[in-house]
Amino acid sequence: MAARTLHVRCATWDQVETFTKRKLRKGRLLSMKVPFQAKVGSPVTLGLELPNEMVIAIDGTILRASPVEGDPQRMWIEVDLSGLTEDVLARIKHLAANPNDDAETDPQIPVPAAPTRRSSVMNAVGEELPADERELFQQLSSELRRMRTAAVHEVLGVPREPTPEQLRAGWKAHIRRHHPDLVARRGAPAITHLAEELTILGNRAYDRLRVALLTEGKGIKAGSMIATPPGWLVGFEDIQSGDATPVPKASPRRFERPPTPQPVAPQPPPAAPSDGAEAFEHRARAQLRTGDANAAREVLAAALVIYPRSKPLRSMYYVATAVAALQEGEVVLATSQLETALAHHDQCIEASRLLDCVRRTGMATPDQLKRVFT
Amino acid sequence: MSKAVGIDLGTTNSVVAVIDRDGAPRILTTEEGSTTLPSLVWFSPRGPIVGEAAREGLDESPDLTIFGAKRLLGRRFDHPEIKKLARILPYELTEAPNGDTWIQLAAGRAVSPEEVSALILRELKRTAERFLKASVTRAVITIPAWYDAAQRQATKDAAAIAGLQVIRLISEPTAAALGHGAHRGADRRYLVCDLGGGTFDVAAVDVEAGVFEVLATTGDPFLGGDDVDRAVVEHLVRDVRQTRGIDVSTDAFAIEKLRLAAQRAKHELSDHANATVTVAGLAELPSGKLVDYARPVRRDELELWSSPLVKRLETPVKEAMRRCGRKREEIEEVLLVGGSTRMPAVKKELARITGREPSVIPNPEEVVAIGAALEVARLDGTIEGVLLIDVTARGLSMSVQSGECEMVIAQSAVVPTREHRLLATRTDEQARLEFDVWEGESPDPSQNRHLGRYAIVDLPAAAAGDVLCLVEVTIDTDGVVRLGVTEMVSGERLTLEQIFHAGLARAEVTRLAKQLEAQ
Repeated sequence: MAARTLHVRCATWDQVETFTKRKLRKGRLLSMKVPFQAKVGSPVTLGLELPNEMVIAIDGTILRASPVEGDPQRMWIEVDLSGLTEDVLARIKHLAANPNDDAETDPQIPVPAAPTRRSSVMNAVGEELPADERELFQQLSSELRRMRTAAVHEVLGVPREPTPEQLRAGWKAHIRRHHPDLVARRGAPAITHLAEELTILGNRAYDRLRVALLTEGKGIKAGSMIATPPGWLVGFEDIQSGDATPVPKASPRRFERPPTPQPVAPQPPPAAPSDGAEAFEHRARAQLRTGDANAAREVLAAALVIYPRSKPLRSMYYVATAVAALQEGEVVLATSQLETALAHHDQCIEASRLLDCVRRTGMATPDQLKRVFT
Repeated sequence: MSKAVGIDLGTTNSVVAVIDRDGAPRILTTEEGSTTLPSLVWFSPRGPIVGEAAREGLDESPDLTIFGAKRLLGRRFDHPEIKKLARILPYELTEAPNGDTWIQLAAGRAVSPEEVSALILRELKRTAERFLKASVTRAVITIPAWYDAAQRQATKDAAAIAGLQVIRLISEPTAAALGHGAHRGADRRYLVCDLGGGTFDVAAVDVEAGVFEVLATTGDPFLGGDDVDRAVVEHLVRDVRQTRGIDVSTDAFAIEKLRLAAQRAKHELSDHANATVTVAGLAELPSGKLVDYARPVRRDELELWSSPLVKRLETPVKEAMRRCGRKREEIEEVLLVGGSTRMPAVKKELARITGREPSVIPNPEEVVAIGAALEVARLDGTIEGVLLIDVTARGLSMSVQSGECEMVIAQSAVVPTREHRLLATRTDEQARLEFDVWEGESPDPSQNRHLGRYAIVDLPAAAAGDVLCLVEVTIDTDGVVRLGVTEMVSGERLTLEQIFHAGLARAEVTRLAKQLEAQ
């Protein structure tokens, strides 16, 4: 039987340190509860997922196994991690110090190259998946890592603006490759989990692009009931001590600001700003209009040192980060940055416009950027 | 690996099927030799009795004989349909502390519908164990497509109490299409109409190269053969009053006898134009003399009485076609599933609505269970090249501090899926953040089904709005909702405390499972 894979996820580098320093006895003995019947002496592979989403495979053997009281499905096991050598530990430490270091150059950590995109739709379900559990685990986790930072159309391997047929074919190919049911028979929770995560990414990408197609009037017949989700939810009202009269909900207006121009009819630039914070914001917006996101970020970061409590500045900083991410094609990152911007300041028109644009089309062209930041 | 079975847990009848040694699906028969097990539990003085034997309880103590527990499963007591049911059921319903519907057996003794369903599931499990001569611990259970997250969880809990691990919940229409053998035939666009004892389900299912895609599901959770029985009983009660001068409408025993007789007559009228309702000893006169009752019923009478119910078939069918953007002509095959589709009036009405003659399935009661057994084989890898893709029947919303609901996951989203919302603290040093999760898409919370209230605890101390929590809502392949919270700045997972949630608590399920095992 192929070695079982146990998935351990560390969300922070502190957790990684806790794991390597305190969780392990004698440096390599690990006790844990597992959801299967384990046999003493059988090999296992520990998939240690680091905060940078890299997964390190560590081989080991089960030393002891005892049933968990009251739960026949689970067992306590003790694993001797023979694969956790000094080299691997040093590598983890090095990664903790330099989280953005490129892992794929290191021969200690075998990460398969990202599979090349197939242009044709696959015919057989579950084709090309390796039989060996450990190999499959590594392949799926590297694919997941790649897709988490990919734009929605890349996840499905379709053009940036696909036709409904291309979109459906791409999504079906994704499902046929990654659906958790295809690996269910293996009875390995870690692998099913990875497959489910991959399917979730594919389904979300499909839903987003489907909505984009519908809004553009290139509608598809099936499942037309998808409505655009209303961005996000914020849990705090604007508390601004200087503003004595509450702004009525019906007329959303940014405080300390002239009325916002309409997106369709660009107006002459607003009068010279009177407030210091607003001067910075104004400058940043001008830079973003030309697409110079990094300069805008620097301006905003400097401004935030002076006005740390200014919500418009904070949210604009996230918008600038999002624009930079969009220029790199990192749509997922950009979306989360825009959501954060709105969470900081829900009246941030630029963030909501840009988010709307990204959700609809999965991107933002320079032209669209110009329109957003008028 | 232990044996797994496919179960159609129905409102009135339940069916269990397995995959035979030669790979063919097979319906298992109960000890009485029937392929269906009546979903009946009689809490007799000698202990709970399940199935055919519990029919005796319907006569002897209707207040202790529970039928149709599936309709109560995972439902709130204040639901208008439950209120309506409470008035007509011979047993008493009560409200559980968390607002769920429970069944009051006697003073101080209430059972949850989960426990009742667990007893039925255990009986099916035993049937399978007798046949397979091995222990059965895993099952695929079919559920109506419109089931909400609470009802799905309740079904899973019932299985857990019965000692069954649910490997998958699949929707009945999908199971029906699978059981019909759609994966072996040519690519088709199906419309599955499932009219069972208690519920009506419609699903548009596309089958393309082995991939089953549920495009849209709708249904009427309170429309089924039982309702036809009740409509007939109402007319019979009126007839008894007119011809015999006795009012039996408040006599639970008499009503139950009439219901059974009406059901028999209804079955007969599916194949014949005439039938007779006969009840011996319907009521007792003040003199102590028993009154017998017999009345011939014609098919056209039955059709007249049930016509308000049959008319209700149209809305869900139209809605299903509207949701997937299909015209009637684009449907390539209409599948009729469920015992009640044997009624000629139902067949005719569905043919009229869909504009095409429905396919005749020889065993409409069993096809769903066969589909469930095939699903077991599919998940075990015996059947290859088939994939089932499902969509959410309803959207999911969230609200903070009793505010308006905001949609998180849209209706008809493909599962598994995940969406997130960012929540920020509102006050300085806020340590807890509470939010509610709802099923439904309306901004008005009263229009949605409350799934639970949760609190994020141990928030780091900071100024208002500086702590951002990323709440991730996942709907898994079973349609069950999972939640996770991460603090945005540190990336740490935060603890989520459940203040209120629908259904049984985890500990309660474990306790009941142990208790049932000991019996």
